[in-house]
Amino acid sequence: MYDVISAEERNIPAAGIFNEGFIEDARSAASSRTMPAIRAVPSSIPCEATDLADIDSGVQAILDDVITALTRSLSPEEKSPKSREPEKPTRFIFQGSLDEIQRFFYKRGWTDGLPVIPPTEDKVAEMLTGTDLPPDTLLGKLIPRQGKVTIEKIAVNAVMAGALPTYLPVIIAATRLLLDSESGFQGFCTFGVSTGSWSPLWIVNGPIRRDIQLNYSSGMMSPGNIANAAIGRTMGLIIKNLGGIRKGIEDMGVMGNPLKYTAVASENEEESPWEPLHVEMGLDKSDSAVTIAFPQSYLQHWPTSTDDEGILRSVQDYLHGAFTHNIFFNPTHARILAKAGWTKQDIKDFLVEFGRTPARRDPNSTAKLFKGRITPRPGETIRIIRDPRVIRIVVAGGPGAFMAHAFGGGPTPGKNEIRKIELPRNWEKLVAKYKDMIPNHVRY
Amino acid sequence: MTSISQPANYAVLSPWAEVDPVTLRGLSAPRPTSLEGKTIGLFYMWKRASKPILQALEKHLKTRFPTLSFSWYAESVVNTPEVESPNKARYEDWLKGVDAVIFTYGD
Repeated sequence: MYDVISAEERNIPAAGIFNEGFIEDARSAASSRTMPAIRAVPSSIPCEATDLADIDSGVQAILDDVITALTRSLSPEEKSPKSREPEKPTRFIFQGSLDEIQRFFYKRGWTDGLPVIPPTEDKVAEMLTGTDLPPDTLLGKLIPRQGKVTIEKIAVNAVMAGALPTYLPVIIAATRLLLDSESGFQGFCTFGVSTGSWSPLWIVNGPIRRDIQLNYSSGMMSPGNIANAAIGRTMGLIIKNLGGIRKGIEDMGVMGNPLKYTAVASENEEESPWEPLHVEMGLDKSDSAVTIAFPQSYLQHWPTSTDDEGILRSVQDYLHGAFTHNIFFNPTHARILAKAGWTKQDIKDFLVEFGRTPARRDPNSTAKLFKGRITPRPGETIRIIRDPRVIRIVVAGGPGAFMAHAFGGGPTPGKNEIRKIELPRNWEKLVAKYKDMIPNHVRY
Repeated sequence: MTSISQPANYAVLSPWAEVDPVTLRGLSAPRPTSLEGKTIGLFYMWKRASKPILQALEKHLKTRFPTLSFSWYAESVVNTPEVESPNKARYEDWLKGVDAVIFTYGD
């Protein structure tokens, strides 16, 4: 869509052809670049079609529309689209009962479908005790909508998600990761709007894990812990309400992804035999940090034996191609591996070398290897992962024999993968204030 | 006597971000009245249906307008607007040589 605009900007008539399900997405993208009148031709050609007969009949069906798009005179509305007054919501947007607020927010498309905590001035003020930054501090503008990301807006969304003020430092650092994300294919916006339904996965390291009682043990990725639940939920609301990525309009994920409700992991650094993830990425052990990835899939597997070979062969057997692999070893497996002499780097090197797939899954394929120069031999294999830096090894999870693997999208290694978390001056007092927020389950 | 409590009333802040005022831009490129004798640019990107759609279009447009000619261009950096890629100058030169452009995205 942006290329259609660049042609029109250079005075060349242009038309874009889109599957009919993507027309609203195309218009939103054009508006975000301030040229809403671009000519988009809807087609019924299946998305990413490979059947040439389907493509040919679909093209015949839109041929007249394409010709018209290139030759029809410009209408007055196309020449001078009415400048829309940007919505400038008042600071206070609504007053009503709890039910009325739920309905109002839901109908505006500002929630994730679940009820929200009303972001009253008092609740937002309480949330703001989690940072020393003034509420009107502008951190940047979040794409694609270019929404202004102020500390107050972050706090409002954090209140709605049920976060505690002690989570705000993590949320601010995570938001900065979105703002600083690289442009292009491996950036936040591509993953946020893609048909591939990639979801943010946040991994928290450092002392703050314990201060805010993030779960890095049994059921780390399951519901039931307010920190894991509310931090990820807040980030989902920030992406929607500040970045303007709405499902079915900008977010064109075909199947969607339950990880988008929340996906916050944390490392069990105390029981890990290895250096934690943030230290691998260059920070001090005493720092707290949040790391980002955009997995499509989360799978769990079980080792064929509980020695080092059984554990690693299981990971090897489940590898799929991806930009980033987040592999969660439970503490028991991590100890077994370390005792057998495995470092994190050894594991990465093993997976790069031995994680392989047939070079020619399709016997009729004519695809060539090595820059398109070499014809694969029958039985020849190629590496699934070429760069060990895309593998992250994290120790987490409870007792038991399973391990987990979240794989899919992620930043280019070394490009805004991790952000140090800045704590407010009153941190210890704040932690003390909310330290009793832990579930106490009755025995039955 | 049972008292009936009034539902709590909340004044709430907006979670929706403000944006800077936007001045919308219109289209200004004059449209040709006919495609006869024109050169049409065909721009495809990485998604696998993008190029075959244009190949089919080329075939059917050529049948309709035998004097039409075509010029092809492939996206150089995946999911990156061409004017933001290192090939911006090459792209702009290419645009100068066409009368109109068709873009396909495969979706």
